[in-house]
Amino acid sequence: MANTATLTTDSKQTWGGGKSPFSVSYGKLMMWIFLLSDAFTFSSLLVAYGFVRFTFTSTLPNTIVKPFAHLSHSFVEEMHKAGLFVTERWPSPELVFNHFPFLHGIHLPLMFVSLMTFILIASSVTMVLAVEAGHRMAKKEVEMYMILTIIGGAAFLGCQAWEWTNFITEGASLSGNPFGPTAFAALFFIVTGFHGTHVLSGVILNIVIYINVVKGTYEKRGHYEMVEKVGLYWHFVDLVWVFVFTFFYLI
Amino acid sequence: MEHIEHLEHTESPANMKSQIWKTFWILLVLTVVDIVLYFVLLSSSSIYKNILFVFLGIVKAFYIVSVFMHMKFERKFLVWIIIAPMLFVCFLIWLALNEAGFTFDSRLF
Repeated sequence: MANTATLTTDSKQTWGGGKSPFSVSYGKLMMWIFLLSDAFTFSSLLVAYGFVRFTFTSTLPNTIVKPFAHLSHSFVEEMHKAGLFVTERWPSPELVFNHFPFLHGIHLPLMFVSLMTFILIASSVTMVLAVEAGHRMAKKEVEMYMILTIIGGAAFLGCQAWEWTNFITEGASLSGNPFGPTAFAALFFIVTGFHGTHVLSGVILNIVIYINVVKGTYEKRGHYEMVEKVGLYWHFVDLVWVFVFTFFYLI
Repeated sequence: MEHIEHLEHTESPANMKSQIWKTFWILLVLTVVDIVLYFVLLSSSSIYKNILFVFLGIVKAFYIVSVFMHMKFERKFLVWIIIAPMLFVCFLIWLALNEAGFTFDSRLF
């Protein structure tokens, strides 16, 4: 009985009005709901990828090219002859994404995309450190961590631009590619492009927030909650990349 | 007169900074494990390999959401509002993979 009584009082206190039953502000709750809807969008894209991928014969394991091997100019043709790059079969991602800037002609499977993953994780950490500094009202620290986050985001976008340029130069497009099924490159462009758009808007939002921090808008307001809200979005972008990385590069 | 807003929020623990760095190292190690496993299991085309990578992805997602996105410290009700609808995604995955299996068969014959 005592338990029930406490619960009723608690429930009345929680839902009785006058304050948020979730103990978060309106804006943050709405950010969570938006992220949920965005999670559905990305889920549909990744499930579509999974569907198409599942309808193709599984990848032939690569036993020919070893890491750090020299890549000849006719690499794609060689792979085609070996039966690794054919339209009936999904290609092995390590044979497609094997380039690294300034290290031309060396087989470095998945090294560049690992670097991109690391950059995004690091920028997520600086973002959460900015939020933490905001709780302490440490304006200078928030400024520094926001700048680092913006640099991380811009670096990631630069890497993605390089990856895309390389992929397109090799002949990949929405309507065909020399590596395998048409859907392989088409899905890659759509999903990483959609994710890249999110990173771009995240960087723009971060810049807006940074300007407001410098101007002292949040100092006057008495809290740095805007940093937290944009932080939620930024971590979500990192979260999506975890799955894009898993599905497009590892599976 | 400056207007100072009253803000409703759940408090972070005192050791937030060390939790952040701990999470960073966990994510970094898991990513390295991902890549190492990819090369160790390169010659395998087992479905369990895919399940393993998705599982590792979910573990990373758990750490990002719970610590970086502060969800660990939010009210349980908010947590369920966000997590429960993801069950629909599980249903969609099951539906899509099931259907993809039939499409695969129809391509063979």
